[in-house]
Amino acid sequence: MYADLLNALPNVFAWTNFAAVIIGVIAGIVVGAMPGLSATMAISVLVPFTFGLEPLVALGLMAGIYNGAMYGGAIPAVLLRIPGTPAAVATTFDGYPMAQKGEGGFALQVAVVSSALGGIASAFALMLLAPPLSRVTLLFGPSEVFWVAVFGLASIIFLLGGNPIKGLISACFGVFVSVIGSDPIYGNDRFTFGQLEMLDGINIVILLVGLYALPPVIDLLETPLKTDGVNSSKLGTESIWKALPRMKGFGMTWLRGSFIGIWIGILPGAGGSMAAFMSYNEARRTSKTPETWGEGEPEGVAAAEVANNADTASALIPALTLGIPGTAVAAVMLGGLLVHGLQPGPMLFRDNPDIVFGFMWQFLFGAILLVLLGGSLATNSFARLLNLPRPLLGSVIIVLMLIGVYSIHGRMFDVYLMLGFGAIGWVMDRLKFPLPPVVLGLILGGFAEENLRLALRIGRGDPMVLFQNTTSLILVALTIAVIVGPTLKKRFVDGRKKA
Amino acid sequence: MKKTLTALIALGLSATVALADYPEKPVEVIVGYSAGGGTDIMARTVAQFLEQELGDGASVVVKNMPGAGGQIGFTEVATAAPDGYTLGTFNLPAALALTHDREADYDVNSYTYLANFVEDPNTITVAASSPFQTLGELLEAAQADPGAITVGLSSLGGNDHFSANMMQAASGAEFTLVPFKGASNARTAIMGGHVAAGTMTLGQTTSFPDELRVLAVLADERSPFRPDVPTAKELGFDVQMSSLRGIVAPAGMDPALADQLRAALSAVNENPEFQAMMAEQGNPIAFMLGEDFAATAAKQDGVAANIWEETPWK
Repeated sequence: MYADLLNALPNVFAWTNFAAVIIGVIAGIVVGAMPGLSATMAISVLVPFTFGLEPLVALGLMAGIYNGAMYGGAIPAVLLRIPGTPAAVATTFDGYPMAQKGEGGFALQVAVVSSALGGIASAFALMLLAPPLSRVTLLFGPSEVFWVAVFGLASIIFLLGGNPIKGLISACFGVFVSVIGSDPIYGNDRFTFGQLEMLDGINIVILLVGLYALPPVIDLLETPLKTDGVNSSKLGTESIWKALPRMKGFGMTWLRGSFIGIWIGILPGAGGSMAAFMSYNEARRTSKTPETWGEGEPEGVAAAEVANNADTASALIPALTLGIPGTAVAAVMLGGLLVHGLQPGPMLFRDNPDIVFGFMWQFLFGAILLVLLGGSLATNSFARLLNLPRPLLGSVIIVLMLIGVYSIHGRMFDVYLMLGFGAIGWVMDRLKFPLPPVVLGLILGGFAEENLRLALRIGRGDPMVLFQNTTSLILVALTIAVIVGPTLKKRFVDGRKKA
Repeated sequence: MKKTLTALIALGLSATVALADYPEKPVEVIVGYSAGGGTDIMARTVAQFLEQELGDGASVVVKNMPGAGGQIGFTEVATAAPDGYTLGTFNLPAALALTHDREADYDVNSYTYLANFVEDPNTITVAASSPFQTLGELLEAAQADPGAITVGLSSLGGNDHFSANMMQAASGAEFTLVPFKGASNARTAIMGGHVAAGTMTLGQTTSFPDELRVLAVLADERSPFRPDVPTAKELGFDVQMSSLRGIVAPAGMDPALADQLRAALSAVNENPEFQAMMAEQGNPIAFMLGEDFAATAAKQDGVAANIWEETPWK
């Protein structure tokens, strides 16, 4: 198998194949940086055009776009507090405060280096461990996946912010949104008001754009017309080689974030945003100075960005070996493979090793190229764009949002839906309700419901089915540890102080 | 007599004249699913070859209108003008099954059936590590302890579900049906041993020869892809179910235009290059034209209506 890996390498360096990766990364960064445009969309638009292309050219473009977009999402997240992609929500926590302090340039450099490292780690996991890791995926049936969702919800309690009641209300709103649409088992309509467009539920991108992009844009429009860009004039960009030494303390965070990202990637359904949230939380929990987090801690940006790129290639492990995509992007990529007659499954590795392993190499090179392309070229040019007068910038972003949301399914209904969520988001923002719990509630709520109901069906209604195997029990133990751990630790520390 | 003949000829001529102009503008093929899915890829492959067959620089454009399990796209086709400029992909039994379990603005009679391209028969499949070696053993276990055998489906109200239902009716066994989100999730649950068996289509099993054991194919005849697997009929259970993908147009189309399109689609099917592309994409071709296609649709609609009446799934 490793011989196949090496044999696939020369072909990757054919200039067309390599150029495809470069173009893909650049396109991905641009797409990721625009609120509303996501990697999923870019790749699904691309798939039909890849009919006539050589497989590795098509796949190289996709690998590049995927890697680029996961970093591109960080650019507006840092500079404007608008996550360009769902996975970049956690990047806003510390990235935006850094930009406000005039460290936006450094934040973007941390993001690009972390993204590249996460992507590289993930590509190695895909190249070296795909078959054994796919066996891990098989261990996760509905009851295990249900516990993963519960664990995810429990481990991000910190997202509730300073006011837990408001945080819980936000989370409940997210879970409520996850309920909209036809129910996952019987297909009964819930809260659709007879609208066919709502039967499939609320697309995460629509919610995200409305909730996250509209309130800051309204802020931008409210700002009196001044010609100096507030953030970007103080971007503080310096050479990436000068910035690197300042990141030398991030080793553990990068390692942990990569591990979390890879692990979340191989589980079906959760995706980059959950990986970024969990990595951020773990890094903050183990930090010596947790109080600086959320105030512009560069390590927070590193934690979020390393994890959301570390799930890219690993999400393809179950996709390539089992045909189940770990993320929406992986699902579209499967379509891209299908166009070229590449059916996922173990046979793929036997019948088309040059293409599968070539694709994996392209992932690796895509991640490495991020440092070069994202670091200098894209970061600088995007920062210039943000030099525009703020109301003008706001109008440009609104147009991008509308186009992005419209193009998901090609219908105006989604645009109105987005504007509705935008109004809700603006009110929540003004009333200081935290927004991240909404996103997580939507992602994990639906995930938990579907798998709980499947598990109970398998167990013929007996809830004991949820505790019947080792994997489930380990996850239950982890969940309990996450919930009571901090309290116990605090007691222990206090007790020692008294003694 | 002479007059009628002239009139007929004139009519024929005028028809040919009218059709000679077709297509004057791009022909849209509506796909009720997202770009990059199996149906979308079939539509794009057909579109590419249909352009050549229609000739004269004709342009055939695929338009994705995903949502509501394909319903948005199916409705769009059914309510479009039957002028030959709106065609659509049609998935059976899904497209008609959903007219029974929810409100839909179309039914089996809303279409001009042009041609079916793909037919993928359902199967009864277990994991390779499963203790059940034959269909008989599996059904015996399901009869001995009703509900103990869990069967993974891609959804309720689709061909997987109907297969399981028809198998229950034919054998008297009782399964616990577990509808996953999509065929690949169901397949993974079978491979991981989380459910005992599944009814996925044969096409879904082909990439996993060492991981899955196909116990029976729910077709009239053995599949040329797996001649070693018996049909359920051979084993004493007269059950047939499959997933079909074809091209339809809105009902009420000018018969001459419909025939022109059918001829073009037949020519597409006969193109060896097209056959090679479909085979590469893992699509088992079962070409059916006009009447045959319409009859199959009506039959599948009947099955769905029956099952909905006897055991409504929601």
